[in-house]
This record gives sequence, structure tokens and C-alpha cells, in this order.
Amino acid sequence: MSATGIAVRGLTKRFGAVTAVDGLTFDVPAGRVTGFLGPNGAGKSTTLRMVLGLVRPSAGEALVNGSRYRDLPRPRTTVGAVLETTGFHPGRTARNHLRIVARSAAFAEHRVDDVLERVGLTAAADRRVRGYSLGMRQRLGLAAALLGDPEVLVLDEPANGLDPAGTAWLRGLLRGLAAEGRTVVYSSHVLAEVAQTVEHLVVLHEGRLAYEGPLSGLDGSLEAAFLRLTSI
Amino acid sequence: MRTEVLKLSTVRTPWALLAAAQVVIVLGATGPFLRDARGPEAVRSGAAHLGLTALFALVLGIMAVAGEHRHRTVGDTYLGQPRRGRVLAAKLGVHVGAGAAFGLIGAVTALATSAVAVSISGSSADWSDRALWQTLVGGILWNVMFAAVGVAVGALVGNLTAAVTGALAWLALVEGVVGQVLGTDLARWLPFSAGAALGDLPAGGGLSQTAGGLVLAGYTALLVTAALLITPRRDIT
Repeated sequence: MSATGIAVRGLTKRFGAVTAVDGLTFDVPAGRVTGFLGPNGAGKSTTLRMVLGLVRPSAGEALVNGSRYRDLPRPRTTVGAVLETTGFHPGRTARNHLRIVARSAAFAEHRVDDVLERVGLTAAADRRVRGYSLGMRQRLGLAAALLGDPEVLVLDEPANGLDPAGTAWLRGLLRGLAAEGRTVVYSSHVLAEVAQTVEHLVVLHEGRLAYEGPLSGLDGSLEAAFLRLTSI
Repeated sequence: MRTEVLKLSTVRTPWALLAAAQVVIVLGATGPFLRDARGPEAVRSGAAHLGLTALFALVLGIMAVAGEHRHRTVGDTYLGQPRRGRVLAAKLGVHVGAGAAFGLIGAVTALATSAVAVSISGSSADWSDRALWQTLVGGILWNVMFAAVGVAVGALVGNLTAAVTGALAWLALVEGVVGQVLGTDLARWLPFSAGAALGDLPAGGGLSQTAGGLVLAGYTALLVTAALLITPRRDIT
């Protein structure tokens, strides 16, 4: 097993009687953008949250660069994450939100300005998040994920709410990060966008692995293959 | 720890709670004089309202954890520090400090208000009155402990609305009803009664001030321990 990227081994999560994730095993390689797909309820978010140590697995484990998340010595320098509509305190400004993240991870204060610039929020940095659009919140989430210049990016629906220009910008950002040798995994329902962005795919269906491999390994279009894989 | 200080100081709610507490104290400390009470006893019973403001410290503590669940920032917090016990310990430390600040600022407000009320009413006051200072110290400690209780309750309940309404309903309603059932002998051991004894509220709690303080410290320790056990097991979905 390589020490870079994400390794998921026999990962299982039961919520009461419901098995949300059922014996998943797959790898997310470094240096490529990996799409993490599946219908609603397939277990994508639960899996990503187990990778990030937010949900305790019922069985199995998820390793990031060879370690469980909670054993990472400085997690934010290894992993940057954007969760589905990541929470922000509505009364806090974007800059203060990032300052809190930066301080909690002992990052230099100037990183806050760097990432605000990188996601295009500099002009809006001192407004309260309450007044932000969904797209702006996504950018703020990305800014927080990038603060620690992490080797691994885990993004749950990061394109959600972005306008076309924002989507194109995100595509360039993710590809650039992967080209630097980082591990980038993101979930999405917008298959046309995924097809333009990723090289590698992990597809879930009802908590189990339906496909793992290169985008080019699929028969036909991504949409046709996805519908076939998730209709069994 | 420093992160938690920044979290507190970058939103407005703590300041609003602190201001509300001062209003209660000013009104409370003026009250006895408006009812034509005079002398050291009036000053002391007015100053006892300091203890009541522990409710604001309680709400502040609840918001520290439950507020993070409410606004879904808790995931982000645990991403930065996956060892959750440390996060909770930091929140406890900061909010114990905030409770102490609420208590100290409230004590100053209570004394200042009393001094003004004394001079306007042409009354006398005994500033070396030992009972007055014991009341103030008790009120400060009540603030400190209720801030810690709030953090623990917030961690245990998670849902902000449920935690705040539950805690306030307990204090305002349930403890009274349960007290009726248990009888005063047992009711004085309940948390708010213990706090009332510690803070030397005019209605009193039935216990001595020291006993009230110890009982409340026991509840605080119990809730904090439970919170430390539960927090690492909670799924953040």
C-alpha cells in the first residue's frame, strides 16, 4: 500500500438498522483528480466523513497518507476538506472565519489573505457570512481547505452553487492542485462537469463499490455508464 | 484555547448576554431601595442578583458547543483538532474564564449601582459587611460553575434549541415541580437550589452557602465527565 493518497479498507457504517456503507475498499491515488460518484443515499458523504474522522466506522478503516485522520500530527497541513455546505457562523466575517481556522492550526496569519485572493473573495472578506450566496460560501469553504497547503483535498459537492465561470475556475484549480502531485477527491452529481475534470473514478451504489478505475476505462459516456452501474 | 477566545470575541452574542446581565444586576440592586428598604441588608439582597446572572453564563456555555452543532462549524473544529477531548477542554477553560469575567464585571456593576442607590436614598451602607462580600464571591462562583455546566450540557445535548430551552425550563419550571414532589428536604439538593444557596439569593436554596457550592461543584464535575465521555463517540453528520 502506498503512503500517499487515501486508502479505504473494509469500511462499514451502520446507523441503527440502516447500513449506510457496507464493506467498502478502494484507493484514491495522488496526482490525479478523482471523482466520487453515486446516487443520493449511496453513502458518499458518510464515507468522506469517516475518512475525515467525523463519523466513527462500525468496521474497517480509512487511511490518509497511511494514517487514520485522528492520528495525523497536523491534520490541516495533510488534508483540506470542504463538506456539504460547511457550516459558518452567520455573524462572523469570512476573514474572521479563516483567522479562526488558521489560528487553530497555527498557520501564519498572511495565509488568510493568500487563500482569500486565491478563491476570489478578497473584496468580500470583511462582510458577514450571513449575506453570502451559496457560491461564495463554497469559495470560503475552499479557502479554508487550502489554508494549510494540504497534500490531500477532500471535497463534498464543491461545485454546488457555483456559476458557470465559477465551475470553470474550480476545474482549473483542482487540476492544477492534482498536477502538483496532490490527492484530490470530490463528489458531485453533475456528471458532465465530472467528465471534464476527473481522470479517476470511484462509484458507489447502496453503500458498496460499483466501479473503481480510470474514467477512460468506462464503456460509453460517463452518464450511460453511471446509470448502468447504479441501476443494478 | 486561543482559538476558542477568538471564536467568542468575533461574534456579538457574548456581549449581548453580558449587557443583559448588567441590566438585571442594575435593576436587581436598585430594587430594594425602590421598596424603601435601607441599610446593609438592602445592599446585600440587591447584590445577590449577581448570582442570577449565572443563567447568562449558562446560556453562553451551552452555545459554545451546541452553537457549533447548530451552525455546523463543529465538523470544521474537529477537522482541525481530531482529538475532541482537547477541544472540549479548551472550551471549558475559556468559558470558565468567561464565567469569571461575567461574575467580576457583574460584581463591580452591583457595587456601583448599590453605591449610587445608597447615596440617592440617603441611606447608609457598610462596605466592610462580610455577608455582602460572601454574597458577591458566591455569585461569581455560581457564574463560573454554570458556564462550565453550560459547556457540558451543550456537548451532551448537541441541539442548541433543545439545550437552551431544556436548561432554562429545568431551572424555571421542572426543578420547581420536581421540588414539590420531592419535598424541600430533597429539593434543596437540586442544581438551581444549590446555586441559589451559593449565590445567597434572598429566597435561599435551603443549604448553607458552602454546601450549596460543593453540591453545585459536584453536578458540574458529573456533567463535565459525561460530556468528555460522550463527545468522542458522537457522529458528525
